Order: sequence, then C-alpha cells, then structure tokens
Amino acid sequence: MTELLKKLVLTSGVSGREDKIREVIKAEAEKYADEIIIDPMGNLIAHKRGKGKKIMFASHMDEIGYFVTFIDEKGLIRVGNVGGINTLSASYSEVVSERGVCGVALPSDSNEVPKVDALCIDIGARSKKQAEKRVSIGDYFVHAPHIKRLYGNIYTGRPLDNRIGCLVLLEALKNVKPTDNDLYFVFTVQEEVGLRGAKPVAYRIEPDIGIAIDVTSAGGKPTSPKTKVKIGGGVAIKIKDASVICSYEIVEKMRELCLDSNIKYQDEILLKGGTDTGAIQTAKMGCLVGALSIPTAYIHSTNEMIDISDVKEAIKLTCAIAERI
Amino acid sequence: MKELLKKLSEEFGPSGYEDRVRSVIREYIERDLPKNCEIAEDRVGNLYFHVINRDKPRLMINAHMDEVGFMVKGITEDGFLRFGCVGGMNPLVLGAKRVVSERGIKGIISAKPIHLLTNDEKKQLPKVDDMFIDIGATSKEDAEKYADIGDYFIFDSGYVEYGDGFIKCKALDDRHGCAIMCKLIDAIKQGADTEYDLWFAFTCREEISYSSARCASEYVNPDYALVIESKAVQDIYGVDDEKKVCILGDGAIVSFMDNSTVYDKDMVNKLISICKKNNIPYQLNKYISGGNDSSAIQKSICGVRVGLISAPSRYIHSRANVVKYTDLEAMYEIALGLIKE
Repeated sequence: MTELLKKLVLTSGVSGREDKIREVIKAEAEKYADEIIIDPMGNLIAHKRGKGKKIMFASHMDEIGYFVTFIDEKGLIRVGNVGGINTLSASYSEVVSERGVCGVALPSDSNEVPKVDALCIDIGARSKKQAEKRVSIGDYFVHAPHIKRLYGNIYTGRPLDNRIGCLVLLEALKNVKPTDNDLYFVFTVQEEVGLRGAKPVAYRIEPDIGIAIDVTSAGGKPTSPKTKVKIGGGVAIKIKDASVICSYEIVEKMRELCLDSNIKYQDEILLKGGTDTGAIQTAKMGCLVGALSIPTAYIHSTNEMIDISDVKEAIKLTCAIAERI
Repeated sequence: MKELLKKLSEEFGPSGYEDRVRSVIREYIERDLPKNCEIAEDRVGNLYFHVINRDKPRLMINAHMDEVGFMVKGITEDGFLRFGCVGGMNPLVLGAKRVVSERGIKGIISAKPIHLLTNDEKKQLPKVDDMFIDIGATSKEDAEKYADIGDYFIFDSGYVEYGDGFIKCKALDDRHGCAIMCKLIDAIKQGADTEYDLWFAFTCREEISYSSARCASEYVNPDYALVIESKAVQDIYGVDDEKKVCILGDGAIVSFMDNSTVYDKDMVNKLISICKKNNIPYQLNKYISGGNDSSAIQKSICGVRVGLISAPSRYIHSRANVVKYTDLEAMYEIALGLIKE
C-alpha cells in the first residue's frame, strides 16, 4: 500500500491538467475493473458491473498549484493560483513545473503573509531569455511532492489532499468482495477549483447513491480549526460541509456498517470548504449522498499530515458500503 | 464585417432583452439558406444555425448576444428613475453618462459635480443606490408617461473608428463575437467545408449568469465547444506589464485558464497549432481573471471539451469598449481554421 501511496503522491496533476496522475491511477485500476471510461473533462471511471444498486464513489485526483502567466525581464515567473493556496506555507517553499523545472515560491514582501497574487517563482534564471528556455506561459507548477513517515502511523507529505482518497478508492476497488451492486469508482478532475468535474460524471452515471472520499480538517493542533475530528480517531463520516448536507439515511447506514464491522469512526462537520459530494447530490435529478473523510492536519500546506490507521479504516468502510449498503 | 459589427453593436440588447439583436442576426443568417443548414430558437431565446453533418463529431461555436445595462426599479416623487445594474459594472464609469431605454427615451445618469462632493465622498467609490437616471421629467406622474418599473436602459454610445484600426462602441462585448459568427456562416454558405456537425449558438444573459449557455449546450449536446468572447485587458499607461493581461493588436487571445474555467488542453493546443500553421497572430493570457459561458458549457451534460478565443478589449462593461480590428480578423481566421480541420 505504501508503494502505491508513494507513486500517487509523487505524480503531479494540477486542476485541469490531470493527465499524468490519471495514467498512474488507470494502470492500477485496469487490473480490477470490468471497464474503464475517461470522459470529456478527463474524469476516470472504473466500473465493476452488477445488477443491484448503482453506487458511485468519487475521489478527486487534482491538486492545487499555479499556472505561469508572465515572465519578467529579470527572469522571475509570475503565476496565477489554481485553488486555495496557503500563502504562509507557500512562501519560500520548493515548487516544480510540469516539465520538472524546480524553483522557489517567493512572497513580494518578507515581513507579512503574502496575498496569493503577490507570489512569484524564482527558477534561478538571470534573464527573461534564460527563463523562457525552461518555462512557457501556460505551464503549471505545483508544490514539490514528497512523503515521509514520522512517528508510528503518522505520515506527512503533499499532496495528500486528495491522493490519499485515491489510494482508499484503489484499495477498495482491489479488495471489495463480490457483490450485486453496480459499482463506479470515479477519480474526478477540477475539484480544487470549485467541484467542476464531479457533476458531469454523476450526470453520466445517474447513481442511486453517491459517496465522496476526501480529506477533512483535523483539530488538536495549535493552528487547527475548532473541530472534534482527530488524526488517529478513525475514518470520519461527514454530516455536512460548506457544499453539502449529507443524506441522513446514508449517514445512519454508514454508522451502522462501522458498528457491525468494528470500524473505528468519528462524526465530522466541516465548516469551511466543500467536497465533490455537493456536486454529485444535485446533478441531473439528484441522488442520495454521503462522504467519508480522512482526518488531515495542515491541509493545502506543503506538509499535510495523516494517520495511516485512519486510511485503513476508510478502506474497510468503503468496501462495506460497496458490498452491503 | 465592420458594417455588420456597427449594426450589431449599436442595437439594443441588455441581458434578458436580446429580441432585437436576435432578429437582426436571424435576418442576416437566413438569407440564401443552404439545404444542409437549419435555423432554430429555444425557449430561453438562444438562436442556432446548424450545418447538418449528422455522423460527424459535434462542434458548437458560441457567442452571447446580450450586453450590460440597467433596469428601472422605482421612480422618485420628483421624477428621477432609481435603477439597478444588469451585469457587473464599476460605479465610477456610470456618472453623467448618456443612456437610452427600450422605448427610445434618453436620459443621463446623475452625478454630483465636484463642487458639491464632501471630502469623504471624494475618497469613496460612488454607490449605484445613490444614482438616478434623469430623463428630464418634472414629477413622478410626468416620468411615468415615459418609463415604467422594469424598463431596460443601455449606454447610448455609438460606433466610432479611431487611430490605427481601433473601434469604440458600447456592447462590443460580445457583438463582435456575433459578427464573427455571422461571417463564419457566410463562409459556410459560400462553400467552406466542415468536418463537424456544426452548430452556431447565439446565447442570452451571459452578463448575469451562464445559464443560457448551459441550455444551449444541453440543446446541442456537443463534443467540442469554442467560445468567442471579449477579454478585459489593461494595456494602458502606468499598468505593470504582468497585469496588462494582453495587448490590443497582438492578436486573438487563446486562453489556458481564467477564473471560471481551465480550458481543455487538446483544444488549447489545437487552437495554437491552427495559429502557427496559418500565421495567425495570437497571444496567451498573461494574467488570470474573468469568466464566461465556457464554464457552464464545460460542466454541462456529461462534460464538453471547451476552448476560448477572445478579443483583447479595453474599458469593457462601460460605454466605450475598445477593440482592434486586426484582432477580430485573427479570431475569425482561427475559428474558420477549426471548422475546416
């Protein structure tokens, strides 16, 4: 599992440019799915056929980052942000482009937390001409991907949002027991720029039940938001976030499945931020939705943090939903 | 194209009242209608020109017919019209501007002269709620003869060519897109071949929401979409190079991303390769800003591969949009190249 996690984390793909990460996921999903579909927006659908309930699982594969918009006379690179950048963490951190060019993200003023359009990238070029040899307008940059085990089950790295969800989905696809249910494991695009990818897939699939898998903010750290969700406290069952109020029968059912199968869980209400759950719920004629989350600290920073035991519980719950909901 | 552009841009058509623009376009595209083409309208007011090629992949080219404007929301006792903006506008560009209503009533948007502004007022943006349309009425009763709640007004500002190929008018956003599409339809009528089941969609209400474009996409169900638009730029004195967005006269803008959409990579590459192959001047957007119909189209139905070409435009959403004619020609050439691919 950790080998796969490493591969998922170390392959980049900013919102709208998910080609590379999609290839990695496709190579893995192909081994277990009956059918693979890539839709016009680039969503990857791994289908495991059945005659029962149509269940769509969705985990987004895109990550936040930057598009190059301008290269100045000194060779500094101006960028536009893709998704919500934590500019405090981004300042002076390593970034890398789609072509593998490394650089440092710089704030324009070293004394305050920069606004996102005050960030630029230094790739070490000394002139516009030098920079243009390695970077073009429209290229994307992401924060340098990495992953490390810290203490016990605790891992840090980026982008764990949401490659960890992709891992859960792939492991569930691999381990799910034979079932009547008609299962769709979907790896969505463009979640970080406003849940843009999930709706067209849900329109195509018309699921009875939609389940999103994503990270959620964990509490208990000096900088974390007020929430009872804890790293190591088990998989989180979403009740609501800014994009969705989950269908209550699904929330109840997920709790029951956890109790039946001895899965460690905690309830989650996320005050800020949305997930694909909201887009799936309102696509076409609507469907029942729920979401399970991996408690994560320092989301969107250059060092996101998780407990791998929560991930294991999330895989168990995903399989249980697929087999028995 | 200039004559048509003038006619379309000067026509009255704020969001939700596209009827007159639609009939001008309809009249134009209906002439000498070839047998393999059809014209349609849908319930929200979008107008379509379809080049029937049923077994081919479907391409929708779209431009919106509406413009920003004003709607009367009340009349004061002394005969001034309270109004709201239809579409996003900077209150600074409104004061003392000439406007005209759907019934042809002329008016001026009120603005305090500098002599009467307090020091605080000088530092703040004016508020639309503090402005009125002055139609020269002397009382509420008098005003009610000429205007009613719900009446539309638009900027009263005509088509002017100036400098080296610059064009100024209200509503160039996005009547130039409509004009380009009409000219593409002319090219089809004159025998230009296409490898697509090709739809031209003239859409409504872009300035207030992208919902009509979504309807168009559901009506057409395209595989690919090309949106033809205006892009607000600031290539004027005193603006840092990286904030100018793009430059008038440097060619059509091919966008890779804006605030509403990350454009399909294959579409972006295809548009750029058309430019390179045919020596068409183009530029990439050098700042990320704005949004348009493409976001609704991309996410509609099961998803659509969407691309955008736009005209760099100064002073957008004011009485004086400015574009450069050569950029419009470049956009026409790119779209024609795509149709023929």
